Amino acid sequence: MSFALPASQLPAAWTGWEASPVARGFPARMMPTDEIGSPEARARAYAALLGRMANGDRDALAELYDSLSRPLYATARHILNDSAEAQDVVHDVFLSLWENASAFDMRRGAAFSWAVTLTRNRAIDRLRTRANRARLLGDSMPEDLGYGSESGGIGAGERAEMGDRAVAVRSAIAELPAEQQRALELAFFSGLTQKEIAEKLREPIGTIKARIRRGLIKLRDTLATRL
Amino acid sequence: MIDDRQEELASLHAFDLLEGAEREGFVAELSASPELRGRVAELRAVAAGLAHSAPDSEPPAELRARVLASASARRGAAPVALPPARTPRVPSWVPWLMAACLAAAALWSRREAARSSAEVAALNAQERVAETALDQTRDQLSEARRQLSESSRLVADLSAKLRDEGDLAHFKIATLASMLGNSPEALAVAVWDPSRQQGVLTVSKLPALASEKDYQLWVIDKQYPNPVNAGVFVVDPVTGEAHIVFKADKHVDSIAKFAVSLERKGGVPKAEGPIVLLSP
Repeated sequence: MSFALPASQLPAAWTGWEASPVARGFPARMMPTDEIGSPEARARAYAALLGRMANGDRDALAELYDSLSRPLYATARHILNDSAEAQDVVHDVFLSLWENASAFDMRRGAAFSWAVTLTRNRAIDRLRTRANRARLLGDSMPEDLGYGSESGGIGAGERAEMGDRAVAVRSAIAELPAEQQRALELAFFSGLTQKEIAEKLREPIGTIKARIRRGLIKLRDTLATRL
Repeated sequence: MIDDRQEELASLHAFDLLEGAEREGFVAELSASPELRGRVAELRAVAAGLAHSAPDSEPPAELRARVLASASARRGAAPVALPPARTPRVPSWVPWLMAACLAAAALWSRREAARSSAEVAALNAQERVAETALDQTRDQLSEARRQLSESSRLVADLSAKLRDEGDLAHFKIATLASMLGNSPEALAVAVWDPSRQQGVLTVSKLPALASEKDYQLWVIDKQYPNPVNAGVFVVDPVTGEAHIVFKADKHVDSIAKFAVSLERKGGVPKAEGPIVLLSP
């Protein structure tokens, strides 16, 4: 199996593995995204949208945009701390999904994961091109990225279904020990390497690895039926 | 069965945090283990869920329109269904002259309309081509930036590595063995940096000396007839250890050997006492 996407745009886990617990293929007709409850149903719905997009259905792209643009934009903006650049990233990600929808195979993972990974990778690529990388390493504290601040609250206008997931994720994160929260946050949003995370937190790299593992496993167990 | 090490690597891989040999090794393991691939996919999905933890931020409304417009430009807008054209019907009672005039006017109008349509279509096509080219350029620029970033990092890593290896290659590193019958386990390691004309000597298990004596380090360079003084030192009376940074009295081009002799307090300009440590 092969994707039409360039390797640089594919998450590592998408370059040849089969892994999804959900059914393969696109259902003939999807259910509206606001009626989606379980993670499996949601994954099938997104897959169906991608199937329609592969056939040139622009309305399907609009539906997928309405469903995913908010968390993707929030992720890109959180990584880049720049609205204009975040918009460019989200624009490019949806165009990439539009042009490569036919390459999507839900046996390899969920569409949401795909979209998030594309967004994160592109945002981090941009972050790394900035000349202020050294300043980033030296100046910003883990709290700068958000978990410890009030900025992580859910907006009143956020749609209920996506809001529920956001609440679930934030609640699960809040249950983690603070050091695991910081390690996961830096791992996901900062674009730093293992070594840089260890330096930033002034901990041995082995400790950082263990914290990332423990935190992620705990999140998996807590969110098993929510994402 | 996935062990703790594999689970840790899978967690790091879910964040794309593995690099170099560690990543290559894990990818090789992945290729051989469907169970491990499943675990990575599972953890990657959990990691993707962290997107929901970003501070809520609504994209501006115009971004939606921009995305949809770009998508249309990429694949071409869907054809717009036009109502079927009506066939003009000319009443039979209209004089032939009027008919001829209408026919001429219709012919002229259709020609103008066709020309305008062609111009509009051409402009639309040009716009689509321009938008597509712009999008492609943006993509290429983004990809070029990504590659430049990656290349810069590789160059920096390689430069650092080469610098380190180059430095090490120029260093003179020697182990000095004991020449003392009563302290055969005494040992020293000398490292000499020729570019800085400076070295470090670490000594262990060397006997402590009487107050009127010192150990003296010598550097043997073939361009000089006698060993070059590199300073005196004493050792810790309990552990027999010493760690000193030394310089030679003369500029050293190439060190053949290091030696430590037992001399009177304060050292001597030319070695007199017995050699207690010597490098090969």
